[in-house]
Amino acid sequence: MAKYNYDKSKLKGLTPFPFLGEVKTRTKHIEAADTTLPKSVYNPNILAAKLHPHVQFTKIAKVIDHGDAKSFVFVPDESKGTKSLAYFRAGQYVSLALDMDGVTANKPYSLCSSPKDALGDENTSYTLTVKHGKGAQGGEYILSHFEVGTEVLMSGPLGNFYYQDLRDAGHVVALAGGSGITPFFSMAGAIADGIEDFDLTILYGSRTHDSILLKDELDAVAARSNGRVKVVHVLSDEAVEGYEHGFITADIIRKYAGSDDSVFVCGPKAMYDFLRGEIAKLGLPERRVRFELSGEFGDPAQDERYPAEACGKEFTVTVWIRGEKTTVPCRADQSLLRAMESAGIRVPSDCRSGECGWCHSRLIAGRVFVPESADGRRMADKKFGWIHPCNTYALSDVELEVFPLI
Amino acid sequence: MPMQTNKRYDVVVVGAGNGGLSAACYLATEGMKVLVLEKHNLPGGCATSFRRGKYEFEATLHEMCQMGDGKEGRPKGAVRTLLEDRYKLDVEWVPIHESFASVATNEGGFNVSMPVGVQAFIDEMEKAVPGSRESMTTVMELARMLVDGVDWLAKHNNEPSPPAKVEMLLKYYDLMRVVPVPCDEMLDRIGVPEKAKHIFESYWTFIASDSTEMSFAVYAFMTYVYLTQHPWIAKQRSHEITLAFDARIRQLGGDIWYNTEVKKIDVRGGAVHGVVLADGTYIACDRVISNLMPHVVFDRMVDHSEIPERDLKAMNARKMAQAAFTVYLGLDASAEEIGLKNYDTFMRYSPNNHEQWLSSGSIDTHKDITVTCLNAAIPDAAGEGRAFLQFSKFYDGDAFEDVTEEAYFKIKDRIARECVERYEEVTGCNIQSHIQEIVVASPMTWARYLGTPRGNVYGYYPRTWDGMFPRVQSGHHEDYTIKGLRFVGGHGTQMDGYSQAYLSGSEQARYMLLDMKEGK
Repeated sequence: MAKYNYDKSKLKGLTPFPFLGEVKTRTKHIEAADTTLPKSVYNPNILAAKLHPHVQFTKIAKVIDHGDAKSFVFVPDESKGTKSLAYFRAGQYVSLALDMDGVTANKPYSLCSSPKDALGDENTSYTLTVKHGKGAQGGEYILSHFEVGTEVLMSGPLGNFYYQDLRDAGHVVALAGGSGITPFFSMAGAIADGIEDFDLTILYGSRTHDSILLKDELDAVAARSNGRVKVVHVLSDEAVEGYEHGFITADIIRKYAGSDDSVFVCGPKAMYDFLRGEIAKLGLPERRVRFELSGEFGDPAQDERYPAEACGKEFTVTVWIRGEKTTVPCRADQSLLRAMESAGIRVPSDCRSGECGWCHSRLIAGRVFVPESADGRRMADKKFGWIHPCNTYALSDVELEVFPLI
Repeated sequence: MPMQTNKRYDVVVVGAGNGGLSAACYLATEGMKVLVLEKHNLPGGCATSFRRGKYEFEATLHEMCQMGDGKEGRPKGAVRTLLEDRYKLDVEWVPIHESFASVATNEGGFNVSMPVGVQAFIDEMEKAVPGSRESMTTVMELARMLVDGVDWLAKHNNEPSPPAKVEMLLKYYDLMRVVPVPCDEMLDRIGVPEKAKHIFESYWTFIASDSTEMSFAVYAFMTYVYLTQHPWIAKQRSHEITLAFDARIRQLGGDIWYNTEVKKIDVRGGAVHGVVLADGTYIACDRVISNLMPHVVFDRMVDHSEIPERDLKAMNARKMAQAAFTVYLGLDASAEEIGLKNYDTFMRYSPNNHEQWLSSGSIDTHKDITVTCLNAAIPDAAGEGRAFLQFSKFYDGDAFEDVTEEAYFKIKDRIARECVERYEEVTGCNIQSHIQEIVVASPMTWARYLGTPRGNVYGYYPRTWDGMFPRVQSGHHEDYTIKGLRFVGGHGTQMDGYSQAYLSGSEQARYMLLDMKEGK
């Protein structure tokens, strides 16, 4: 019996010669082609580079003072090679590369302007609004140092806090606190400009009537939105006729949000903690609720799993960069990212919330603490000892390898 | 002031994709001092995962071939041997206990779910297409012969010596007769009924080739290996494979630098002298493995006057393969609740593979999708009460050439919606009310992360004259045109796909060791 049970007659007429000549045949086909250099860059490559630049060189063209906040209008710095700013999805952020007297940091800020202002090749701009606030190291620096003409290096547009029509309801109820209004201001602008197609009701928490950030500007966007953007002010510290009073509670949200609407949240961390409880009372499915990134975790001792014996200690971090090593001190309550930045090392970082993974680094030795609620690592990262230094804290002397962008 | 690294490396690997990692690991196991340079902040290229909320999405791995574990009747595969025995990668592998599902809704269509196991596959085909048994048995027997032949060739490193060639002529004469024949033509010869032919060829999209040009030998080999060894994936997504490579290469003394873009490969006088990084740093070395395809290397990274004529001609003679479009859904109900069934489903309109191929060249005509549900392989992959669903499409040619910045996000979302609605229409499943996370990757996204022309993910289209067999046979000498420069990856000799890229990495690394020995 033959080794293989197939009907040989099916191969009738086939010879081994084409196989034996395959190399020659291939060379013949190659030899017949011309010698011009084919291009490797097509529209998808051009658009990818335009939409996702690693860095954008910008300068400040205008500063608007709102009292306890300022808006900065950024334009491309053509002398440095940035011809136009990248188009984005309303709700995304950029990360500003700051150098604060020897302390480096990348700080994320939501783009406040409409994507329309960034569209095209000419006259593109971004607006970012920065508010005074407690402990916001980068924010205070920006407010006191940025002026017309300041050159600012920033990332391309980042983040996933934007509307997606397959996933989100046609009506979005936005819960904003303080400078958390900025991504929604951008969404409102995008709706008014016809770029986004959904209805947006913004429940906007402020302390008092006079402290509402961007109030007139919001009114103006709502007015040109053809009724698709509504703004409801919720004042915590005073009762004013025509305004909601108190905090943004489940009762207030229920007044404006139907049972199948989407709820988007952006604001300070304390507000997130409060709103998680309130939103839970609404009984919305998880997929209808989206929180913008919460920012730095802060003191790790606030996590109940944090080992108390580490409190108050200081460790040494050995940092490897392309075969060179340096050491930096690190307080137990300081993220590894902050420790490196304090020593002037520019480490990649964008979201500073443990999520985006841009700071993905290799832990070589030492024990660390990663708060579970802010652990955005992949499974295999944990298996092979990779960390996101922006929310990782030393529990002993630590050795790690980081990869600054060149 | 340009820097110069003090360290001396035997080989610099440009790009930490599957091919680059495999080559680096192979060389490191042979005692070479390697430096891997990757422009992105993660290794893997296509082989990666990403998180959104509670979901960790697999970026690209559908299934790996030649990964049989030698257990439960599954033969041990060549790629398993390479990754486990030679590289000693620490990866938990998971088998998939099905072949594929295939649906075509136009006239003459079908809706089948094909099992693993050769006999089971033939039986299921007989059920779907009565009268196909005899011809399908012939196909499988030919495939079995091809598998033995390919194994034999692999044992001879695909370069049998003259005495071995005599043995080959005796033992694998029919392999030589069959290899140059395209799939459609061979199936017609064998008398496979039209419908069975289309079902059998369903997998063509993952081979990057139309059934009129696709090599029967390559396709039958792959199918047979899947049926006998099963398809496999990594438990913790392909990121696990990638980080396992990273760990192993370092353990063997290699270095890997991320966020380190190579701007230039210094080729002078027909030989490699070093690489230049984006910040101007010069790293001297006379051996470079490029995971980037020749189009990219020659257009962007090598002095144009140094490009060998054969490479200029080869780039023009070859055709670039397809660009990818992928939609990743994180669903807030279990696969059972929603009714998601198979792991890989090819969901088409026309049952005719050639017609499917012809429609894939433009956004307006390409409406077919490939659907993957990770939960079918790893039931708890997304956690309790959650599921994954992924759609993939592969576009030929310049389908995205006219997409503008302004229209871009809208077109992405529109195609994603088409995929979801089409899937719902065919299966009756309700997807839209379960979408908790959605990520859409277009050719622009792939161009962003891989840097390939057009967002191409499959390298070069395997024309009959440029298929796996002719490439493999040209991979040692004919295509080695610049001293010290070898290419690996999905565009390489072994063609696209994870397993194939690992194989091309090891193959070219082995040739490089021979080059060193012979001073070539």
